[in-house]
Amino acid sequence: MKRNDLIRFTGFLLAALLLLSCGRRFDVRPAGTGTDRSSPLFPDYTDVTIPCNIAPLNFYYTDPDGSRFTTVFSAGSLSVTLRGREVVWKEKQWTRLMAAATGSDITVVSTYRGADGPVSWQWSIHVSPDRIDPYLTYRLIEPGFEVWDDLEIQERNLESFETRNISDWRHTGNHCMNCHIHAQGRGDLSMFYLRGEGGGAILNRNGTLRKLTLQDSAMISPTVYGEIHPEGRFGVFSTNIIIPAMHAAFGRRMEVFDRASDLCVADFDANRMMTFPETARKDVLETFPVFSADGRFVYYCAAQARPLPAEIDQLTYSLVRRPFNAETGVLEGPADTVWSASQRGASVCHPKASPDGRWLLFTVAEYGTFPINHRECDLCLMDLTTGGIMDLNLVNSDKSDTYHSWASDARWFVFASKRGDGLYGKPWFSHVSPDGSVTRPFLLPQKNPHFYDTMLRSFNVPDLGNAPVGFDAAEIGRIWKEVPAESFQ
Amino acid sequence: MRRGRRIAGIILAVALLAAGLSQCVFLLRYPYFRRYAAQNGVSLREARKAWGHPDKDSEWAMGLAVEAALENWDKVSELAARDRTTEIGTYYYNLSNAMKGQLADRLMDYYQPFERGLFLPVGAHSTPFQIGCAGDVWFALGYMPLAERDAMLGMLFSPAHTGSRYLRRLAECNLVTGDLEAASKYLRILHNMRGNRQWAQDRFPGHWDPAYQLRIAEKRNLLPQLDLVHGMDQAQIALRILLGTNHTNKMALDYLLCYDLLTKDLDAFVGDYDPSLTASHLYEEAMLIFLAAKGGMTEDNLNHYHISATTLARFNRFVSIYKRDNGSGRNLTQEFGKSYWYYFYFAVKNEKE
Repeated sequence: MKRNDLIRFTGFLLAALLLLSCGRRFDVRPAGTGTDRSSPLFPDYTDVTIPCNIAPLNFYYTDPDGSRFTTVFSAGSLSVTLRGREVVWKEKQWTRLMAAATGSDITVVSTYRGADGPVSWQWSIHVSPDRIDPYLTYRLIEPGFEVWDDLEIQERNLESFETRNISDWRHTGNHCMNCHIHAQGRGDLSMFYLRGEGGGAILNRNGTLRKLTLQDSAMISPTVYGEIHPEGRFGVFSTNIIIPAMHAAFGRRMEVFDRASDLCVADFDANRMMTFPETARKDVLETFPVFSADGRFVYYCAAQARPLPAEIDQLTYSLVRRPFNAETGVLEGPADTVWSASQRGASVCHPKASPDGRWLLFTVAEYGTFPINHRECDLCLMDLTTGGIMDLNLVNSDKSDTYHSWASDARWFVFASKRGDGLYGKPWFSHVSPDGSVTRPFLLPQKNPHFYDTMLRSFNVPDLGNAPVGFDAAEIGRIWKEVPAESFQ
Repeated sequence: MRRGRRIAGIILAVALLAAGLSQCVFLLRYPYFRRYAAQNGVSLREARKAWGHPDKDSEWAMGLAVEAALENWDKVSELAARDRTTEIGTYYYNLSNAMKGQLADRLMDYYQPFERGLFLPVGAHSTPFQIGCAGDVWFALGYMPLAERDAMLGMLFSPAHTGSRYLRRLAECNLVTGDLEAASKYLRILHNMRGNRQWAQDRFPGHWDPAYQLRIAEKRNLLPQLDLVHGMDQAQIALRILLGTNHTNKMALDYLLCYDLLTKDLDAFVGDYDPSLTASHLYEEAMLIFLAAKGGMTEDNLNHYHISATTLARFNRFVSIYKRDNGSGRNLTQEFGKSYWYYFYFAVKNEKE
């Protein structure tokens, strides 16, 4: 072989290898009935309602034997055709489509060649003119059992695919951190916990960050679940002695219960913790406190204490509320039962009041206080003006649907659902009309439509914000290292 | 100029050759390190960064983990036979014996760090390596909640937070419990991983050959039918739950009895022991201590617990030497060092544990 031939041959070989390596596509099998990809599309955006400012809905066809996929999107006079198994939008194309479809439907025609011949069907996407708060924070965590590694809290821009870490393990010595929550969807009022040495509750008020030790000798534990008052001065929290345990059968996996739990209020201006005899009773477990939209009430879950774990399946929480004095920070009485566990024969978790004061969204499970592993756990929407329960059949699934939060205008909510694989929570969004009707939820779109196929972490406590939080992981790292935690008395 | 280029070329070639040779020598010396790295989804370089340079002990421990993940129990036995007096060695020694129905018979032939040689602790003080191995025994026993938990945690603490050894286990746990939606998530990832495609394909629902169907059916037969909520480290309860569903799960019964014996809880042992379901000279030896202490050395009891005349004679000899030497074990070690009697009277738990 001559030298030139050798060079040519080598070049050809390299090019072939390059082509082979580039050409390998993600194999979508297994798919179909009984798998976590039962729909012909993933994510299944069929007949969903989306906000007009959402990032492109990229998806793929799940039929492993299909070929020659064509998808035609039409809205008004605009028509866009995309070819291939993976439907991935160019930003400009998507923006044009959204502009043409806002307030109406996008009609979609999907066609491909299946194993048994041509397949074609039409579906639609409704584009709501109600914009969604553009920022979503969540903790990325592997399904764990008391332990963690490499935790991150991210903030995702819902109008694009931009993601940034607002706290992560790299900057905080791989300590545990709990989920970030906005107050009423506000980017300038939020908090989360850094646990362990150097940690504390990180409070973000108007862009100023503070590290707080929200614990007092009278409390049974540091604060755990809670929320910031709409005016920003107070926070209401539960203190919980949390016990993890395992189910033996029926794929129920991990169970978590409280051996004890009480409520307390933190005054962020006076660095003061307040506990109350009515919510510190040993015979009653109180948890998941939140404020009403006007800040005049605290909603929380309460259950009669029982021998645990022996009677875990009889531990049911009612939804109750107490008046809150926003001048003094005192949790007053008497408690008013809003949703009775004994009457409903179920247990309530995670109440969240909509910022417009109209709705209360919570989750209902058969029992207990750890719904993420309860397949039967569903979202429930209460009209606070009538006490009536709205129909959420369109929203709920056969897997755990929980950890929800409201957009600042109460037109959208996000929740973590384990639909599909049943193991990994993902953020789903649903629209709420003024009359309380809800829409079929859609999954957070990703740039790579196969993103969720290989994702081995859950999106924990997705929380909507109307503006970016004014800090990042590096700043949190500096606070963790350099700023001493303020004590509370 | 040309000569200089040639020399540079030769130097480069020699350097490359040396690097290649060094890599070859490394791979020949530490084949399990490479395979364990591959099972954890990391390159050799990443593995060295995460776990440091291997030595003989870590290579041996990784060998146990690699072969156990592939269920090559003869190979595990062979590796475990090189006693290193480590918890991981004992754990796999016991597991490989249990797979052959010899857990009890061979228990006292080896270093036994009390119950930690049966179940590796999973907690704040456990190493990631231990956690990654802890689920092997639960999967073998048929207790999927803990097998799945330990695979999840093994993956959580692995350098790349993934790896075929964990994904395969997670897929199989869910295939056994019938959660095909969860299993399909892992099978799809494996199907797209080099070296795992065929393994995954053979396990897609609807693609199982008769041998695999039998394997899943056997595992499903062991699944608990009664749901109880128990603590994360309550191995005895988990074993009793298994036995509550299927009292013929001999492996679970042997693990429970050996747990009782290694923790020297003879009352629990007697409560759990049913001589019609399992037998071993170990159990005979333990029963003799109990019967002697409770004044129950009757003909009926000896017959009921299938205690042989030979074992009884050996026990009497052990007791006479023990009494003669005022409780000293110096004249017992050679003859009785591998008996349960010796373990019961002389094994001391390491305070560090």
